[in-house]
Amino acid sequence: LKELIRETINGLKKKGVDYADLRQVKRISENIKVKNREVEGVSKSEDLGFGIRVLYKGAWGFASSNIISKGEYKRIANLAVEIARASSLAQKEPVRLAENEVYKDKYVSPCEIDPFKVSLDEKLNLLISACDIMLKNPGIKVADVSLNFFRTEQIFANTEGSLIEQIITESGGGATATAAKDGETQWRSYPNSHGGDYATRGYELIREMNLLKHMERISEEAVALLSAPECPAQETTVIISGNQMALQVHESCGHPIELDRVLGTEISLAGGSFMTMDKLGQLRYGSPKVNIYADATTPGGLGSFGYDDEGVKAQRTDIIQQGRFVGYLTSRETAPLLKQRSNGTMRADGWNRIPLIRMTNINLAPGEVNLEDLIADTQQGLFLDTNKSWSIDDKRLNFQFAVEVAREIKNGKLGQMYKNPIYTGITPEFWNTCDAVCNQNYWHVWGVPNCGKGEPMQTMHVGHGVAPARFTKVKVGGSR
Amino acid sequence: MTGKEKIFSLINPIIKKSPADQTEAVVINSQAGLTRYANSTIHQNVFEVNSKIYFRVALGKKIGVASTNLLDKESMKRALEDAVTIAKNQKKTPDFTGLPLKTSYKKLKTYSKKTANFTPLQRAQEIKKIFEMAAKRNFTVAGAFSTGESELAILNSNGVACFQPVSSAYINITAMSDNSSGYADGLSRNVDNLDIESLTETAIQKCLDSKNPQALEPGEYTVILEPKAIAELLEWMNYIGFGAKSYQDGTSFLSGKVGQKIMGENVSIYDDGNDDMSMAFPFDFEGIPKKKIFFVQKGVAKGVVYDSITANKDKTKSTGHALTPDSPDRALALNLFIKGGDSNLKKMVESTERGILITRFHYINGLIDTNNAVMTGMTRDGTFYVEKGKVRHGIKNLRFTESMLKAFSNVEQLSRQRKLISSWWSDIGCICVPAMKIKNFRFTGKTEF
Repeated sequence: LKELIRETINGLKKKGVDYADLRQVKRISENIKVKNREVEGVSKSEDLGFGIRVLYKGAWGFASSNIISKGEYKRIANLAVEIARASSLAQKEPVRLAENEVYKDKYVSPCEIDPFKVSLDEKLNLLISACDIMLKNPGIKVADVSLNFFRTEQIFANTEGSLIEQIITESGGGATATAAKDGETQWRSYPNSHGGDYATRGYELIREMNLLKHMERISEEAVALLSAPECPAQETTVIISGNQMALQVHESCGHPIELDRVLGTEISLAGGSFMTMDKLGQLRYGSPKVNIYADATTPGGLGSFGYDDEGVKAQRTDIIQQGRFVGYLTSRETAPLLKQRSNGTMRADGWNRIPLIRMTNINLAPGEVNLEDLIADTQQGLFLDTNKSWSIDDKRLNFQFAVEVAREIKNGKLGQMYKNPIYTGITPEFWNTCDAVCNQNYWHVWGVPNCGKGEPMQTMHVGHGVAPARFTKVKVGGSR
Repeated sequence: MTGKEKIFSLINPIIKKSPADQTEAVVINSQAGLTRYANSTIHQNVFEVNSKIYFRVALGKKIGVASTNLLDKESMKRALEDAVTIAKNQKKTPDFTGLPLKTSYKKLKTYSKKTANFTPLQRAQEIKKIFEMAAKRNFTVAGAFSTGESELAILNSNGVACFQPVSSAYINITAMSDNSSGYADGLSRNVDNLDIESLTETAIQKCLDSKNPQALEPGEYTVILEPKAIAELLEWMNYIGFGAKSYQDGTSFLSGKVGQKIMGENVSIYDDGNDDMSMAFPFDFEGIPKKKIFFVQKGVAKGVVYDSITANKDKTKSTGHALTPDSPDRALALNLFIKGGDSNLKKMVESTERGILITRFHYINGLIDTNNAVMTGMTRDGTFYVEKGKVRHGIKNLRFTESMLKAFSNVEQLSRQRKLISSWWSDIGCICVPAMKIKNFRFTGKTEF
């Protein structure tokens, strides 16, 4: 196979391409979902193919196929060149790529327990037991639990001589208890909503989640929410839980720092960014407590890898330093505009997609306080926990999140529960009110497996290392 | 594409030899090209050939599903074995009573050879014309133009044998100035039906008309929602409310309300896979013919769509809306319609004392309060202030947070003309809706552009 890849790359060189790369990717996955003790679905899938990206006379072409044969490699390589020729018909400036090292390497993500070797019986028993606990509570109508596992094996080669193999294993799962009464439903999730938590780790992640320990609590909380008062509209201090902070960082920092988006290439679908290039080094994005960095080397992070999908080594880049905006996520095409080399964030959702600038692990550095001390230090406010919905404008300024539950904070103590809480803000105004981030003891890398971008749509797995944080003067309200 | 006879002769022997009690195969072959442009330059140009075969097997009431994108005999054999192994180790699915039986489905013309064979060069030539039209106004443009073909076959051990080839062409165009933007899009099975010049003119005019937008305070306004904006709301209503699963879980805004009036009498929402006004597709992923299903008829909640398993749970029959065998959502409406009225955009504007005309929304989310269909989202790419029957000027974008049960109870006018709007499932369906004028629509926030 490597010989076939080498031959194809050499053939493209002979055609006079400026640059070409080829990725052959095999992905296997296993998805298990149990609802109310019944197995809703167990499925296994295999996906294999290759994609060839060509820069020819400064224009891009990309072609891909699931047919693995010498003839198809040649046909797809020729087609990629033909597509690049078509692109040049309506292109203003030729693309120039930043320099990159040549690598011959292999990267294997850490995995203590191979999730594909753990028996289906063990997995199903865990999920059914979780349902059993949730359904002991008579107020619970739906108990949902799921596990998902992925293994991606990739070979990357380019005309500069790089040949990189990567094997990345990902695991994830979670549970949701839904309570219903009189036409109303409320739910609580563990360890996170929208499918739980994910990491580039093996089945050890699932065991460490200790799902069964938390099922009784989330069931009780879901039922209690049904009779809780609606979250009152107010401007107040909020402490945001770690899993919600992950999405807050994702939407209001992770996306607007994608340099392709800043340059307008995502404008028609995902939108642009308020963090334009004139603001680099100038914008006071947040308070001095806010330090955010991109790090594709974060151990276990769902956005961790050895090399990105144009062969740039995984690295760490500062984004926000003591509140000041200092860095973007870049590619080999966009980095020269900053007179930099790529910081390695080009990622593709499989063999049949072209790499785009994507988040890796966008992490909020831990602060110094304990969560308990932060709550004790808060006279009046709300503790907002676990995402329910998310929305942000197409320049990433006006955001609105709903969370599963709010808890009143009064005189330094957690009080009553409120349902349907929503909070909203303007990104830099919001981050400038951050007056505390919890310390390393509360810092966790949350995996977000459903980040969408691009046409055709690409779903990326990214990570966010965060801890709970406190913000002042936040507009909060209920959904009704 | 592979073609019906070849797929059937490849898959039928595998089903016959399967050790399972019952076996189903879903085959999807596709090839598609997509050209993206922004800043009036092509920046991505991609092509893909792919396949997928799902095997769903049953051992009694134990079900296993496995899939591969490799259609060689060895890979398919391995996928089938995986499905059988999963079924053996599975628990029973009580509501599974067997794979569907053979039935006939409507013959529909869903394929255009010209569209299937449209080349990257042809797409680039069309896009170049868009650049030239925008340049005359000193605007830049961004968007995507895709063309492609697929074929879908469903076979099972009960004799189900369905096959349908489809093609699709889709273009979206955003024209941009330094402080405004305008949007238009088009979708068809046949690339010849895309009036790209007219769509470009629409996007450019919207961009021009919305220059130098003024700020408007949030609050309740009469809104005139163009079909794209309506479709974006309907897509979320579908996801949270029109499938059997959310209905049975009690999270749907239709749960417990069938037979009750939940919207205005002028609102009828339905799914019809056989109406070739839309991107018709005659059967679902179990090979069951699609039935026309009303979710809301003259304002009254009517029901939801089912696959065979969710139908058994409610002691009813499948409506022909099963998704792929690995989908946890089970059933979804893919050919959505809202019945048109007798108005048009011009009449809506002329009859409005004070309101907002909205081209489309951005980043809607409908998970806030699904029982009341509460959603939030931002306006974008052409939002205008209307006063005393005329469009006055562009306005900076606003955030809405609103219950669709309330909004669709406040519909004052619907346009006679309906438009096809693309969705993520557009090879096998889309959304076909009118423009709508709605009173007392709630905006809760604003942004800086």
